[in-house]
Amino acid sequence: MKTFAHFNAASIDEAVDLLKRYAGKASLIAGGTDLLGKMKDRILPSYPEALINLKTIPGLDGIRIEKDSVKIGSLTKLEDVARHPVVQKEYAALGQAARNTASPHLREMGTLGGNICQDVRCWYYRNPDNRFPCLRKGGGRCYAINGDNRYHSIFGGSVTEGCYAVHPSDTAPALTVLGATIRTSKRTIPIENFFSVDIIQTTVLDRDEIVTDIILPRLPEITKSRFFKFALRKSIDFPIVNCAVSLALKEKQAVSCKICLNSVFVKPYRPTHAEKLLEGKEINEDIAEAVADAAVSNAKPLHHNAYMVPIAKELTKSAILACA
Amino acid sequence: MDSEEKKKALELLDNLRYDKYPLPDERYKYIGKRDVRRLDGLEKATGLANYTMDVQIPGMLFMRFLTSPYPHAEIKGMDTSAVDKFPGVRGILRYDDPEVQEREDLGGHGVSSRFPVPKVAHFQGEEVGLAVVADTEDIAEEALRLAKVEWEQRPFLLDPVEALNPAAPPANPEDFPNGNLEAVYESGRGDVNKGFQESDVVFEFASKRSQHTYISPERPCGVWRWNGQYPELWVKQQRPHIVKRAVSSWFGGIPMNRIQLHILYQGASFGGWSQFGWNLAGHYCAAIFARRTLRPVKWTFTRREDFYGGSMDEGVHHYKVGAKKDGTILAVRAETVYANPMWGGQGPTLHLEECTKIPHIYGKRTLAIVNRGPNTAVRCEQLPNCHTLTLVFDHVAAQLGMDPIEVALKNDGVHGNSIDWARKEKRALGFPETDSLRTCIEKGKTAIQWDAKWHPPGAKRMPNGHFHGIGFTWNHEWEDSAGSGEIAMRLERNDGTLSILGMRCDNGVNAESAYCQIAADEIGMKIEDVFYRPHIDPGFFTMTPDSSTNMSVNGFAVRHAARMLKEKILSAATRPRAVTQRGSYPPFFQNMKPVDLDIKDSTIFAKSDPSKKLSLAELVGPSGDEGPLAFYELYGTERTAFSEPLFSHSYHVQVGAYRGGIRPRFIRQAHFMEVEVCPRTGQIFITKVINVNDVGKAINPMACEGQMYGGTYMGIGRAMWEEVVHDPITGVMLNGNLLDYKIATIEDCGPIDTILLESKLGFGPYGLTGIGEDVATMIPALLGPAVYNAIGVWIDDYPITPERILKALAKAQREGS
Repeated sequence: MKTFAHFNAASIDEAVDLLKRYAGKASLIAGGTDLLGKMKDRILPSYPEALINLKTIPGLDGIRIEKDSVKIGSLTKLEDVARHPVVQKEYAALGQAARNTASPHLREMGTLGGNICQDVRCWYYRNPDNRFPCLRKGGGRCYAINGDNRYHSIFGGSVTEGCYAVHPSDTAPALTVLGATIRTSKRTIPIENFFSVDIIQTTVLDRDEIVTDIILPRLPEITKSRFFKFALRKSIDFPIVNCAVSLALKEKQAVSCKICLNSVFVKPYRPTHAEKLLEGKEINEDIAEAVADAAVSNAKPLHHNAYMVPIAKELTKSAILACA
Repeated sequence: MDSEEKKKALELLDNLRYDKYPLPDERYKYIGKRDVRRLDGLEKATGLANYTMDVQIPGMLFMRFLTSPYPHAEIKGMDTSAVDKFPGVRGILRYDDPEVQEREDLGGHGVSSRFPVPKVAHFQGEEVGLAVVADTEDIAEEALRLAKVEWEQRPFLLDPVEALNPAAPPANPEDFPNGNLEAVYESGRGDVNKGFQESDVVFEFASKRSQHTYISPERPCGVWRWNGQYPELWVKQQRPHIVKRAVSSWFGGIPMNRIQLHILYQGASFGGWSQFGWNLAGHYCAAIFARRTLRPVKWTFTRREDFYGGSMDEGVHHYKVGAKKDGTILAVRAETVYANPMWGGQGPTLHLEECTKIPHIYGKRTLAIVNRGPNTAVRCEQLPNCHTLTLVFDHVAAQLGMDPIEVALKNDGVHGNSIDWARKEKRALGFPETDSLRTCIEKGKTAIQWDAKWHPPGAKRMPNGHFHGIGFTWNHEWEDSAGSGEIAMRLERNDGTLSILGMRCDNGVNAESAYCQIAADEIGMKIEDVFYRPHIDPGFFTMTPDSSTNMSVNGFAVRHAARMLKEKILSAATRPRAVTQRGSYPPFFQNMKPVDLDIKDSTIFAKSDPSKKLSLAELVGPSGDEGPLAFYELYGTERTAFSEPLFSHSYHVQVGAYRGGIRPRFIRQAHFMEVEVCPRTGQIFITKVINVNDVGKAINPMACEGQMYGGTYMGIGRAMWEEVVHDPITGVMLNGNLLDYKIATIEDCGPIDTILLESKLGFGPYGLTGIGEDVATMIPALLGPAVYNAIGVWIDDYPITPERILKALAKAQREGS
């Protein structure tokens, strides 16, 4: 690794000041599980001149239960999210997603804030020493489109340029179907608007903006949520596809439904047209199948990743049925 | 000294029959027992074990190589001025340096001849053009980025079949100027066309195996120090004796006795890097830097750089098989194209030739050069054979609608001969007449409940909608390396403990502990009094721990040495001590012969009166106590006992069966796998694996089981996921890391049963055979038959991914409808 300056921020304000001072040349570090790998492999054309440590800021970790909401500090470790009894009871999809992320060691390091802000895993983008100066790095083209794209988007590329990398987070789809909002150092953003298909970064965060909390609304008891993940290995792997579903049921009928697939598109993918099919319906095998079919109906797989489509469908169906 | 034991040892060289002089069963106190602690257990479990990467020497510098960004490119020019000036850089070695203009022997299997710093790269990631030595690894790494290299890119090839096209560009004109066809080998027996004509069914199929690699626990590295004009080096290698031989040829020749070698822990090597013909280039360049800077030098590769290269089974296989309706296989033709083998390796049909009675076999392997890392013996060079045997047998069973176990039993044989022939042969060679395969199968069938679970392909669904499948395969165990192992041992002064001496690399599940078990039981010592640390070079090299020869070769050598030492101990106990010109002391055991004594729990005793005893510590006496008579004359008292140094040395030679087929294979292994396959996602769940290994005799049962567990995980990773992926457009490796290159973890397999059988049908000491490679090599192909039994469609291309499952099911559905 190259040398870099390291600051232990004492407050959010200080961290924001440092970000401004370094004007895009500093990186925030919390768990570091994504950042340090990127730095060691020198995947980007530039290298951070400074790291700003958020772990020294008091109050950024922990889960606070309030009357109308549950606030999860952005530095709360994934393992703590997964084990929290209120998360397990009221936000099962999030607990399951956190529990299924990475490996025990990484869950004890990685944070929820880091998990939703993480970078893409495209193996062209991540090839060491910036071997592929692709679109996402401001380069000329996507190398995956004609290369080996077995882990890439099945729902098309980014809106502006055509990057086919997928968003790899396990917790993001769970937070999406649970209606989370993201509080930052300067604003509050509904999670629906948090992820970006802009090619340079995965979120809409400004360069000097820091996620402080993830806020979950208290949900009516009729709402259930579930998370399913398909990965090759049972531990450590990023998802090939994952899917979270939340479902509010009244007298066996779906009042509302949210479905979010991830690792299938540049950002978490919500097939809203499929969700609508479920409203007012009684949940059974047939309707779940129909909704799952609809969820992947817009899929446009690339040369090597058509297998992801039936997997996405199956996860959607399983998650819906598991909520019933 | 006239030695009965030496005569016996010589008689057992190239042992081609059952062990003629086994230890009587009642003398096994540690052999075969489970309560023997691993010698390296505490060190490794606590993180205290020292690996080559841990070596720190004051003043040591660090060296790294430039690697090629292109799969095939020549360096036309290089500006290293910025590298030279970078703070902390202590030296550079360019491809055009006068000291690296000759080809050198840089390791590998035989004598290789390569440039230490080549100027042409033949695969992306190859070390090429420049080495830098600096104060730290990071500085060396950083400085390498400052080299301005003028590359001339050449056309490259990734696919071995495309490489054989006469119109294909040359992949490596430097080493293979005549084209990309390296060699063609043929083998077999009988006349396959005749066999096909006599068959009731004849069918063909093809199979592909993607490149999978080895990535050993420790990344490649080494340390070189010049002590005056003589070298001292720390190597992470599988074959330290080859390292020493190669080093002695460098720099105008270095006498062997001036080379000091260390080989520390390395966890494993899985073949791979140690076998490559330029694996010593790091040492060669480090030696030059160490001389120029007068500092020790450590060279390192990154984790990623350890991913280049793979196993010799990468390629395509075409099979044609003929069989009778009753399951008798009459003819097998296997034609294969393998990519980039570093050496000829094994053909696809060797195991069919050795452990079946199939009369007509033809195997052909074509070796093609491509622009990817070199392939060599990774985990085991028998992978192509195991792949072939499993697929041929299970396809025959499928074609005939038979239970694959019946097909195995029907065709089991020895070098084309029947099992009846083998029974007679066993008797003639002193072996028990046990039918090893039948016994393995019986045990395995019971353990996995084969009769209750096996069903026609695609016929069973689980309540969760998954297909259920079960598979079986079998083979003989092999311990093939033609080679020799040397071992010495001595009793230490003062406490009479035993040191085993012999350099050996840290491969296998701590075979050193098993050597100690043999020595302890053979001599009659307590296991805690026996120790073996193989990291130093005492002048004896054990047989390299490859081809599962730890016990079959080195076990004999240890035993010979132990028996000869025991002979010496008992002789010393009955002869006058400290014989000098002035006279001598009387023997410890007066008026007795060695045959009147024995040793138990590290104590010599008289058989006729066990109360007459002497500990080995008393026998050897304290260090520095020579000249007792002089002492007596001076001081009037006798000092402690004194005896001659108690040291022995022996060796064993074993010639493998594959040189001329002189060693019949009697011992068998059987493997069973149960799976579930999700038809909607293509996911495979391996729910149970049963390994039945007939090891002849288990010296250390827990070490054997360790190989069976480890081999299973390694095998299922290779079966389901392991695949080195290259970008087709640029030839760049895409998954050179432990996240994207998917090795199975302990969670990825259901329960694994390990069944050890002890038929005493091996050619090693006590009737043992090796176990190191069988499981890891048999398990990968076994997934195919298990998945076939589940979904009713063959997938013969490996790894068997969800994508391949879904495609096969979709195709079957289309064809069915």
